[in-house]
Amino acid sequence: MRSGFYKQTIAEHLALTDSWPQRAWIAVGLASLAAAPFLLDTYLLTLVTLMMITAVGGIGLNILTGWTGLISLGQTGFMVLGAYGYAIPVESWGWDPLAGFLLAGLVPAAASVLVGIPSLRLTGLYLAITTLASAFIVTHLVLEFPGLTNGASGIFVNRPTLLGWDVATDRDMFRLAAIFLVLAILGALNLKRSRIGRAWFAIRDKDDAARVMGVDLRTYKLYAFVASSFVVGISGALYGIFLSFVTVDGFPFLLSIEALAMLIVGGMGSIAGAILGAVFLVGLPEVVSMLFAAFGDSARALLSTGAHEVKGALYGLVIILFLRLQPEGLMGLWRDAQRVWTLWPLRY
Amino acid sequence: MNYLVELLVSGLAVGAVYGLIAMSFAIIFKATGLLNFAQGEMGMVTAYVAFSIASSTDGNPWLTAAGAIVFSVLFALAVERIVIRPMVDEPILARIMTTIGLAVILRSGTMLVWDALPHDMGLAAGSALVDLGGVRVRGAQIGVVVALAVSVAAMLAFFRYSRFGIAMRAVASDDATARLMGVKTARVQQAAWGAAAVMSGIAGALFAIAWELSPSLYALGLKSFPATILGGLDSVVGSAFGGLVIGVTENLVGGYLSPGLKEVAGFVIIIAILMVRPYGLFGEKRIERL
Repeated sequence: MRSGFYKQTIAEHLALTDSWPQRAWIAVGLASLAAAPFLLDTYLLTLVTLMMITAVGGIGLNILTGWTGLISLGQTGFMVLGAYGYAIPVESWGWDPLAGFLLAGLVPAAASVLVGIPSLRLTGLYLAITTLASAFIVTHLVLEFPGLTNGASGIFVNRPTLLGWDVATDRDMFRLAAIFLVLAILGALNLKRSRIGRAWFAIRDKDDAARVMGVDLRTYKLYAFVASSFVVGISGALYGIFLSFVTVDGFPFLLSIEALAMLIVGGMGSIAGAILGAVFLVGLPEVVSMLFAAFGDSARALLSTGAHEVKGALYGLVIILFLRLQPEGLMGLWRDAQRVWTLWPLRY
Repeated sequence: MNYLVELLVSGLAVGAVYGLIAMSFAIIFKATGLLNFAQGEMGMVTAYVAFSIASSTDGNPWLTAAGAIVFSVLFALAVERIVIRPMVDEPILARIMTTIGLAVILRSGTMLVWDALPHDMGLAAGSALVDLGGVRVRGAQIGVVVALAVSVAAMLAFFRYSRFGIAMRAVASDDATARLMGVKTARVQQAAWGAAAVMSGIAGALFAIAWELSPSLYALGLKSFPATILGGLDSVVGSAFGGLVIGVTENLVGGYLSPGLKEVAGFVIIIAILMVRPYGLFGEKRIERL
């Protein structure tokens, strides 16, 4: 918590950060991302990779839900589109993986315009339902065109070779996910500080007021849909590569709920929150399974037969508990801690 | 011709299931301004409890029905008190997410408590085939349609004549004023949850008897959204009508176009409707004043 500092030039306003401790933390974070592939074992490496891929999706949804205030249950649909947008050209048509990643963003972005247009006049509940409907429609469309998508059996995805860099091992996969995470963070941060980002915040806080001040609701809501689903589509493609298989079953509807849960757990409307939420939610089933293992064989058996169900129940419980007890999420806890730390021994 | 009649009849039966669940959505929305995303799951849990009762009482239909209804009301009251009530003053996103969280818990819990395999309900009366002028239907399918008709009549009478129903309309139109006039809003909201649970419980259990009991039953809730939207979220009777329309349309699409499209026909319809009329066909238009 700092006070009494003023920004005097445009450049200061545009800087991503002006605090040296923060720069130090960013440097530490980047260094640990670079060092992690050499230090972690395979299990932790895949776990952190999954966390980073999930975080990319969370950052995408945060643009739509956290910044623009539009609830979306369509995350799964955009991830599926992204995964197939990558898998079909790269695996079936033999295109370059880089073009595949571009399409993985562009296909969901184009689809999001279709979803977005009917959603423009809707808010809250109605929007949640149309996005949910779109997720189901996408899944069924994939099954309806087996010539293109191979139907229910799905498409096998090889690890890509990007500009001569063969992403073959788990370490390389980790680096690929890390690169995309950093790109997603940078992209989102830059959008946030732009004219578009400020318009999104205005819409979230009060759309009528934003409109009065000259923000064209239609355009900016569509921008939010497009930007969000572009990023979500990329995370879908990464997830497909991670699973090395793209099927409809690989992208259950639970992913939509997981993504929203991530934002709630981390703290709505902040990128750091989305990342914290991803770490928390991906890590949680692992921690719980370790706890279960301590309880003996019967508990372990329950977890191995009903892993998906236990995960679902945990997500639901986490969502409800966070909303009830800590609506600001983990970022709220962090801000509280900061406040106590700076002001101690005073209360406020 | 016979094929068309068969599609229509089974469409009406499924539509009545959607209609009952859509009425549950609407009544809760009317009383609390909240869409309960867990309604389908609550119906599913009731169906599973009915299954457990039926299998432990050798398929006694009366005991099963009574037990399931009592359970559904108690369950809904508990859920409302423990999960929903504390969130009353939170923003709408938080409240929707609470019901979604609840839905996920119930879905997973059902699979953990019972299992993921399809079951037969074991009620002979419900699955017996009845000949209706050349079309053979199951007893439970007739039961759903009757249940829908009874619920609609009951709701119409309830909102028009009973003191409590009028109180509920008052809460729906302005809960702060209703409270000032001496209406116990919390009691009204509990009643709405209870009534919704009974309707969706009946829908879930009868669907399980007529078709099969499996954890995919929760999808009934998702597929009833189009019905509520079609009818307007705050229109209880409109929702019942919407359910029938969606059920019949789905079956016709499935029968004449493609079975895959059947699953999403309802969703395509609501997206189209919401493009034209953002508040549903019979919903009240909300005007925001600044």
